Amino acid sequence: MGRKRGRAQVACEPAAGWSTLETVNTATVEPLRIAGLVKDYGRVHAVRGIDLEVRAGEVFGFVGPNGAGKSTTIRCVLDLLHPTAGEVRVFGRDPQLEGASIREQVAYIPGELRLPERLTGRQFLTSIGRLRRRFDRSRLEELAARFKLDLDRNIRNLSSGNRRKVSVLSAFLSDADLLILDEPTSGLDPLMQHEFLQLVRERKAAGATVFLSSHILSEVQSVADRLAVLRAGRIVAQGTVNEVRGLARQRVEVWFETDAPAGLVQVPGLGEPQVDGRRFTAVLTGPARPLIDALAGMPIDSILIEEPDLEEAFLGLYEASDDDELPDDARGEARS
Amino acid sequence: MRRAWELVAVPLRAARRAGTVWGISLVILIGLTIAFYPSFRDSSGIEDIMADIPQPLIDAFGLADFNSPAGFLRGNLYAVLVPLLLAVAGVLLMNGQTATDEDSGRMEPYLAQPVTRVSIFLGRVAAVLFWLLVIGLLVLATQLVADELVDLEIATDRIVPTVILCVLLGVLHAAVAALVAGWTGRPGLVLGVGMALAVGGYVVMALFPLSDVLEPWRNVSPWAWALAGDPLVNETEAWRYLALIGPAALLIAAGTWLFRMRDVQAG
Repeated sequence: MGRKRGRAQVACEPAAGWSTLETVNTATVEPLRIAGLVKDYGRVHAVRGIDLEVRAGEVFGFVGPNGAGKSTTIRCVLDLLHPTAGEVRVFGRDPQLEGASIREQVAYIPGELRLPERLTGRQFLTSIGRLRRRFDRSRLEELAARFKLDLDRNIRNLSSGNRRKVSVLSAFLSDADLLILDEPTSGLDPLMQHEFLQLVRERKAAGATVFLSSHILSEVQSVADRLAVLRAGRIVAQGTVNEVRGLARQRVEVWFETDAPAGLVQVPGLGEPQVDGRRFTAVLTGPARPLIDALAGMPIDSILIEEPDLEEAFLGLYEASDDDELPDDARGEARS
Repeated sequence: MRRAWELVAVPLRAARRAGTVWGISLVILIGLTIAFYPSFRDSSGIEDIMADIPQPLIDAFGLADFNSPAGFLRGNLYAVLVPLLLAVAGVLLMNGQTATDEDSGRMEPYLAQPVTRVSIFLGRVAAVLFWLLVIGLLVLATQLVADELVDLEIATDRIVPTVILCVLLGVLHAAVAALVAGWTGRPGLVLGVGMALAVGGYVVMALFPLSDVLEPWRNVSPWAWALAGDPLVNETEAWRYLALIGPAALLIAAGTWLFRMRDVQAG
């Protein structure tokens, strides 16, 4: 059963209108627009042409397997990497030209946990806070209490979960308009993951935009408005969570009052059909409407269509096909 | 202003341990060396030993007039050890604050803040230069106090320029490290180039004069710019300071520009 069906772009945004995005008004300009982004490391193609637009006030999920190019894309947005081709605009401005002023509106949690080992959490977070326009010490204390983090312990003595808390706090110290979070809950226990998601919702309610790169699908499903699925440096699906979930393979089981009809195999999106007396089973991909229409008027005893599972959808989308496989030497180097 | 200070304060604090260890090590080295001077001065036979050493080797290793106070200091400290250790300290401190921090990803949280890459890099350079200055002041203070204690009788206006030139040699090596770090962000390469320059520079200054063919090339070495004038004995020409400060400033500027232009390394 081919999985290429999952590669269709559900709602790919057009890349037009770049030249008009010159204002800095965060209320009217898209927080993030990426058009034709390409990033090569020598012969390795880490990102192969990404187009996406993150709208103001939404939580945008950015998911994909290791080596898909998620962190490379984020690092281009933050001007840590210079794109090989394509354009990145943050609040309508070019990070390569106005990186420092753009980052005044952006907070970032890096995917890799690398913090200054010899500082305490308080020293590190205070130094980060002082580099921003607005730094509220009481906010630091409040967040530390909320995440149960001892700020006065040396970072080198913290567990990976507590280091992750330090990283999370660094992004939420300021009231940034755009939060770019790269695998932010990796290493956090479920309680703290819940607290983190609550924090994301609070920032969203306050009007902030969140760009959330994550492997934890339940996390994306619970907070994201829209998402893009990345594989081998390309976006293979983009849309609302429900739209992407619609790409999932759903198991269908129909019991008929008489022997199951053979004609059902022609229904669009239906695969792996099996008829066993009164019982008909298959796998459905995409909307259920054609199947429901086909079943209308048939002598049905019972019908079961499994709830679409986002994880199933991702597994299908993640599965590489021959034409977009990374070269062998790229697997280790292309950052996820 | 608060941000500028923070960009210097963070690496200053991070380099505190290394800077302190280097400073204390040099203080101990100088203190112990000079502590031996009274017994050295009173011992007989030093001139006989020196007479057996070929003149080119005496020149190469700074052993001329070894039984004089200036010769003792030069031969034991300021011909090789102090300038070499300051050069190595400059390379290691700069490498630690730039390429190592970048390569390990520890610089990334700061690069994601609303400050320019240039200001982050220059903040780290400033912190390293500060620690080299502190180490230099410790060396100078130790030297002056020890001179008083053992009656070395070398004029302060000879000691001060000598220490300043050694510190500036360390600054120049730190600047080379800054250039390579800004260019590549690879700590191994920074270390290799810095150490090669420190050792190679000394070899060129000390050993090239042993060959008539190589002798004219001695002056390509920064060591020669700093120490060939024998600052413990002779008045130091102003150009020697400029020959070290000028290239150091250019190398730091170039390293900063290169860092701005390239991708940031990450682990």
